[in-house]
Amino acid sequence: ACSRLIIPSGNMFSIFKSIPTHMDYKGQKLAEQIFQGIILISAMIGFVYGLIIEQFGWTVYIVLAGFAVSCVLTLPPWPMYRRNPLSWQPALPETSGESSQKPQESLKKKKHK
Amino acid sequence: MNTVLSRANSLFAFSLSVMAALTFGCFITTAFKDRRVPVDIRVSKVMLKNVDDFTGPRERSDLGFITFDLSADLQPIFDWNVKQLFLYLSAEYATKSNSLNQVVLWDKIVLRGENTKLNLRDMKSKYFFFDDGNGLRANKNITLTLSWNVVPNAGILPLVAGSGHFSLPFPDAYETTKSY
Repeated sequence: ACSRLIIPSGNMFSIFKSIPTHMDYKGQKLAEQIFQGIILISAMIGFVYGLIIEQFGWTVYIVLAGFAVSCVLTLPPWPMYRRNPLSWQPALPETSGESSQKPQESLKKKKHK
Repeated sequence: MNTVLSRANSLFAFSLSVMAALTFGCFITTAFKDRRVPVDIRVSKVMLKNVDDFTGPRERSDLGFITFDLSADLQPIFDWNVKQLFLYLSAEYATKSNSLNQVVLWDKIVLRGENTKLNLRDMKSKYFFFDDGNGLRANKNITLTLSWNVVPNAGILPLVAGSGHFSLPFPDAYETTKSY
């Protein structure tokens, strides 16, 4: 509880940064293809519809609707964009890290000597 | 593309590009359209006066009063790239000092969605039909033309003259009313 009272002001942003928005590489490609497809299709529908009813305003509205739909579909990192995570190498156990530091310290000490 | 902001950025930029392409398409589908329609202009009465003209060095100038009928169907002009029409009735005539005089007598704005059938009877001109001299008296050929500016959503601003003129001679004496 005490530590929360002493939160520096910079932590406001760390709350936002803690929200995961990341997509993997294939997910990014998929998201781009999805929003381009949706907007192009809505543009074609809107163009034909506006041409038929002779109202360009409806063309704009239909493209804006496509924009809104693709915002909902591709801005949040839905699970479908995170199916191909990168396979990182497994983290090295911490004990080995400590052991690797020790020889370095001993080497430095040796140099000072 | 790996954060919400970068995705929003590319989504917005792509949408704007598509919108610009659509606007160009709207322009190109209507760019080569013929926007002339037949116009029926008739003049029922003409009055000619010789009045003091305070705008120039000349003491008295000719001032004409025209009462006109106008009918036209403007519906074919309107399409999805027309926001409004600016109609104006102009008189053209030649005098000794100028081979071409043009005076706008009347104008009207027709917005999209308004009544496009013009059927006006016994209209008086909005603006003074002043000659810069005495060129109106006994002028044999004064031609009235209805023209319009087409105000588009995108593209050029065409200036179209309606097909259908009305030519009339003006009276030979002042302060007399001539009926047609």
